[in-house]
Amino acid sequence: VRLAAVVVIPEKELPLIHASSFHALGASESLYSSRMPILGNDLLQSWSQLIRKLGMKSLWLTSAFRQGTASFSALAELAGRGFERLLMITLKSYAEMDLADLLRFHCEKRNSVTEAHDARGQLGVCLLDHLALAQMKEESESPEARNGHGQIPYSFSGYAKRILSTKERQELVADGLTGACAMRPVGTEVRENVWIGPNVSLADSARVVAPAYIGRGTVVRAGSTIGPFASVEHDCVVDCGTTVERSSVLPHTYLAPGLLIRNALVDGGYLEHLGLGIVADLEPAGLASKIKPLCKRAQMFHDSDSDTVFPAGNVEAWHVSGQITSNEWREVHL
Amino acid sequence: VKADAWIVLPFPCALISSGRRERRKKLLRELRATGSHIILDFSNCRTLDHEDIDLLLRCVAQVVGRDKQVVFAADSNAIRALLEVTRISSLVPVFNSVEEALERLKIAVPNIVEELQTCQSHAWSA
Repeated sequence: VRLAAVVVIPEKELPLIHASSFHALGASESLYSSRMPILGNDLLQSWSQLIRKLGMKSLWLTSAFRQGTASFSALAELAGRGFERLLMITLKSYAEMDLADLLRFHCEKRNSVTEAHDARGQLGVCLLDHLALAQMKEESESPEARNGHGQIPYSFSGYAKRILSTKERQELVADGLTGACAMRPVGTEVRENVWIGPNVSLADSARVVAPAYIGRGTVVRAGSTIGPFASVEHDCVVDCGTTVERSSVLPHTYLAPGLLIRNALVDGGYLEHLGLGIVADLEPAGLASKIKPLCKRAQMFHDSDSDTVFPAGNVEAWHVSGQITSNEWREVHL
Repeated sequence: VKADAWIVLPFPCALISSGRRERRKKLLRELRATGSHIILDFSNCRTLDHEDIDLLLRCVAQVVGRDKQVVFAADSNAIRALLEVTRISSLVPVFNSVEEALERLKIAVPNIVEELQTCQSHAWSA
C-alpha cells in the first residue's frame, strides 16, 4: 500500500492589531501560531521525526484556513497522485506517538478511517484509505465526520498536548524544561534544567533560574534574570535588568532595560499577557521590538549543533509554507 | 489626612493629541502645587507611548519623598499589562476605577488617622 504523510498547517487569521495598538483578545485571537519554535524545536520538526521513523522519505505540506483540516478536494487531489493511504497530521498538537502502532491498528481493525484520540478527544492524527475518500465524495463528508460511522478510533495514552493557544504552548515549554515530555531544548544543559544554545552571550551579573532555556545567539545583558519557566528563543536581546519569568520570548525580539515580563509571550513588539488575556503593543512605548535578521536564511536552522531535520533546500519549503493555500501541496524530503 | 483630600486628575495619554504638551505640563504643575493625594485616571487611555511612560515616571518622582500619595485608576487590561511590564505597578497601587480607588482609600484613611492619633497619645503620655 502506497502511503503518504500529510501535514496540515492550520492557518489562522492574524490578530487584528490596529492603530489603537491594544485590543482585548477574542476567543480565537492569540499571537500563537503553529510555526513558533518551542525550546528551539518546532512542531513540524517533531512530527517529521516520527514520520521518518516509519521509513518515509518525504512528507506533503498543505495548509487549512480556520477549520484546521485539509479540504476533501485537496486530499482527493493527493490521492489522485497514486497514494492509497494518507497519514494526515494537523499541526495542532504535540504527541509522542508511535505511528507504526497506529498503522498496525488501522490495518488490524480494517478501518477506512482511523482517528487518534486521547482522553480529551481527537489529536489531529488520522489515517485515511483511498476507499474512504471515495465514500466521502459520495456522502460529502469530512474525515472527522467519517469517524463516527462505525470506525474504531485509536486510543492514545502517551504524552500529548494540544497546542491551540499561547497558554498551551507555555505548558509544553514547562514540560519540556522539566523533562515531563520527550521534547528536549536545543542546546546544552549547563546545569539541572538550564539549557543554553550555542553563541549565547550571558553577562556575568545575569541570573538564570532553573528551569530555563536560552536559544542560540541570544544576548542577555547585565542584571537580567531569565527564569523560572522561561524560554528565550534564538537571536534575542534581553537588555539590562529585565526579568523574564514564566514567559516565552520569540526569535529576534529585543526587550528594553528594566522590564518585567511575567506570564506572557513576547513576539517582537507585541506581548500577549496570559493572565489578563490581552495583546499589547510595546513598540510605541519603546519597550520591545523585532530585530531584523542580518541574513534570514543563514541564521534560521543553520546551527550545526542542533538536530536539524531539514536539509538547506527544504528549509525554504517550510518557511514559505505559510503561503501555501489550502488546495496546494508541497513535498518536503526528510 | 482626610478622606476627601484626594483629587482625581485625568491622564493626558497619547490618544488625546490636541494640546497634549500643555496638558502634561499642567498635570506636572498640579502635582507640584497640590497638597492633596492624587488619583490618576486612565479611563480615556487605550494606549501608552514612550512619552506617556516618561510622564508617568515623572509623576511618581514628583510625589516620592513628599507627604502625598499617587494611585492609578485603569480599567483597561492593556494599560495594566503595560504598567506591570514597566514595573510601575510595583511602585504605585493600580485600581480598576476611580470609584474602586476611592472606596478602598476611604477605608484605609481612617485607619491611618487612628494610628496617628494612637502614636501621638503614646508620645504625649511618655
